[in-house]
Amino acid sequence: MDSKKIGKFFDSIGDFFTGADSIPWCESDIVLGCEREVIAAEKDSSEEFKSECRLRLSWALVHSKRPEDVQRGIAMLEAALPSTSDPLQMREKMYLLAVGYFRSGDYSRSRQLADRCLEIAPDWRQAITLKKSIEDRIKKDGVIGIGIAATALGAVGLVAGGLAAALSRKK
Amino acid sequence: MESSGGSEFDYLFKLLMIGDSGVGKSSLLLSFTSDTFEDLSPTIGVDFKVKHVTIGGKKLKLAIWDTAGQERFRTLTSSYYRGAQGIIMVYDVTRRETFTNLSDIWAKEIDLYSTNQDCIKMLVGNKVDKESERVVTKKEGIDFAREYGCLFIECSAKTRVNVEHCFEELVLKILDTPSLTAEGSTTVKKSNIFNQKPPVSDASTSGCC
Ligand SMILES: Nc1nc2c(ncn2[C@@H]2O[C@H](COP(=O)(O)OP(=O)(O)OP(=O)(O)O)[C@@H](O)[C@H]2O)c(=O)[nH]1
Ligand SMILES: [Mg+2]
Repeated sequence: MDSKKIGKFFDSIGDFFTGADSIPWCESDIVLGCEREVIAAEKDSSEEFKSECRLRLSWALVHSKRPEDVQRGIAMLEAALPSTSDPLQMREKMYLLAVGYFRSGDYSRSRQLADRCLEIAPDWRQAITLKKSIEDRIKKDGVIGIGIAATALGAVGLVAGGLAAALSRKK
Repeated sequence: MESSGGSEFDYLFKLLMIGDSGVGKSSLLLSFTSDTFEDLSPTIGVDFKVKHVTIGGKKLKLAIWDTAGQERFRTLTSSYYRGAQGIIMVYDVTRRETFTNLSDIWAKEIDLYSTNQDCIKMLVGNKVDKESERVVTKKEGIDFAREYGCLFIECSAKTRVNVEHCFEELVLKILDTPSLTAEGSTTVKKSNIFNQKPPVSDASTSGCC
């Protein structure tokens, strides 16, 4: 049995049936837990610890099942990105922002950011998976970037566009 | 073990992978789900893969959760222990601290956050392809597994030796544990209504001829 071929074959079947099976979900009580951490950290913690808490919260938000959480995660990441200078943190936030756009249906922006992540780190599995999910979804929907939330995201999208441009200038 | 496709399955099992950053959790998962090996970036938060397999005559959907080993993600990753029927604890046989952290950190995390009392634990010593750099002996692994009451295997995500075996043994043990496969257990469910036992009224019509 050529297990390699079979593995690939069933991989694609898995994606076909589920679509959403490739990016994890986050329950709302986890979001809440991260939120409490951030609030507790605001008092008297080091900047580093605060930013770790915020990163976990933004992870939880963009992976949340609730659209309003995802929107909040996107806003949080967009606000944080311009002041992020560490390249590793920057690419993590770009990835999370891409997940947020993906979940909110803004596939073209999501793809832009996922591409940027892969330019920086071509071996980044999670970004590869995300890009594949985006492309599957685009194929299924037929049109790029048509999602329920796409219009609501127009303004947000502009910011991200500017951000992507700024990032490419930096390079 | 056979790969099997489609959307039908007898059981859905949630498996969890934990262990220090860099021990090869994501590599093992990639090796298992898509037969490839490559250099990987550290996992951000939690990653997730689904694989359909037939093991022990049962069609299974395995939802495998791959957690980040980096400490800064710990409070996030600990939320994903709940409901897991199987937990894979990975260490790197060429890095002693990844082994000692099993008792210092990871076993404690399981005690704190796992919600399934009977959940099956499996200890995995990875990177055995780097035999010349090995610092943790197989015997130490066996002893640890005996002490903590878990299964044990040594494998390599790179050469794929024992990778399938690892997941297969774990799943067989889960199948063998009635409380983990019991109907009504939260994560055990059929994928679609057509799979379920027909209601009584339907059964009578199918008994014709
Ligand atoms: N030689 C060898 N290298 C391996 C093996 N498994 C993983 N690696 C390498 O070890 C490094 C770390 O592997 P990962 O799979 O990313 O480790 P991880 O446990 O997922 O790390 P985190 O996501 O940070 O928790 C990668 O560069 C892999 O290529 C193995 O079996 N043999
Ligand atoms: Mg990983």
